[in-house]
Amino acid sequence: MAPLQKRALYSLVIGLVLTLGFIAVLVAQGDVTAFENDANLRYIMYAVVVGVPLCYGILVTPIMRKPRLVDERDKRIIEKSSRAQWLAVIFTLVAWTIGLTEVYYDRGQVPVSFLTLIFFSILIVSTLAQSIGILIGYSRLERDV
Amino acid sequence: MSKVTNRIRRLRFDHNEMTQEELAARAGCTRQTIIALEQGKYVPSIELAFRVAKAFKVPLEEVFQYQD
Repeated sequence: MAPLQKRALYSLVIGLVLTLGFIAVLVAQGDVTAFENDANLRYIMYAVVVGVPLCYGILVTPIMRKPRLVDERDKRIIEKSSRAQWLAVIFTLVAWTIGLTEVYYDRGQVPVSFLTLIFFSILIVSTLAQSIGILIGYSRLERDV
Repeated sequence: MSKVTNRIRRLRFDHNEMTQEELAARAGCTRQTIIALEQGKYVPSIELAFRVAKAFKVPLEEVFQYQD
């Protein structure tokens, strides 16, 4: 298994755990708007929102520069997987836009806690889509050529 | 099936049974890419093809062939 393939598998597992954790927090809170009332939870969210992309940048960027870990074949797969990632993000945004518009149309405003929720869902969907895209990319590359 | 074939496995054997890991290090790629190349499951870029040939110290066409 290629190093990038292993990382994609780990990312997929981490992404799934993140998703489950996120759903558990939502269920425990009972309501999305509960985020607004719990200051501690909000600060934890901010830390994660800033921390995750920062960690990604710090951990992933040096790996991408090492030819013995990620070479041209891996980069080709990453490029293809980013198309799946982009599509998944767009579909998630479309779902949020239509859903929130329909639910809150009469009120004319959307609760501010949805901003964090949208960010988290995009982060999770993006991570999962890229991991799945990379794993599919490897299996296709080995099958097709 | 790809029209580009190669003699990497043979050349490795001829070069003191060079390991895939060693060739990968010399060519600047991963061992998995060498495996994929040997199995004909991946067609390399021109640059990687040259690097592989250079690792064996032979001309490019001795490593890769194009089948019409």
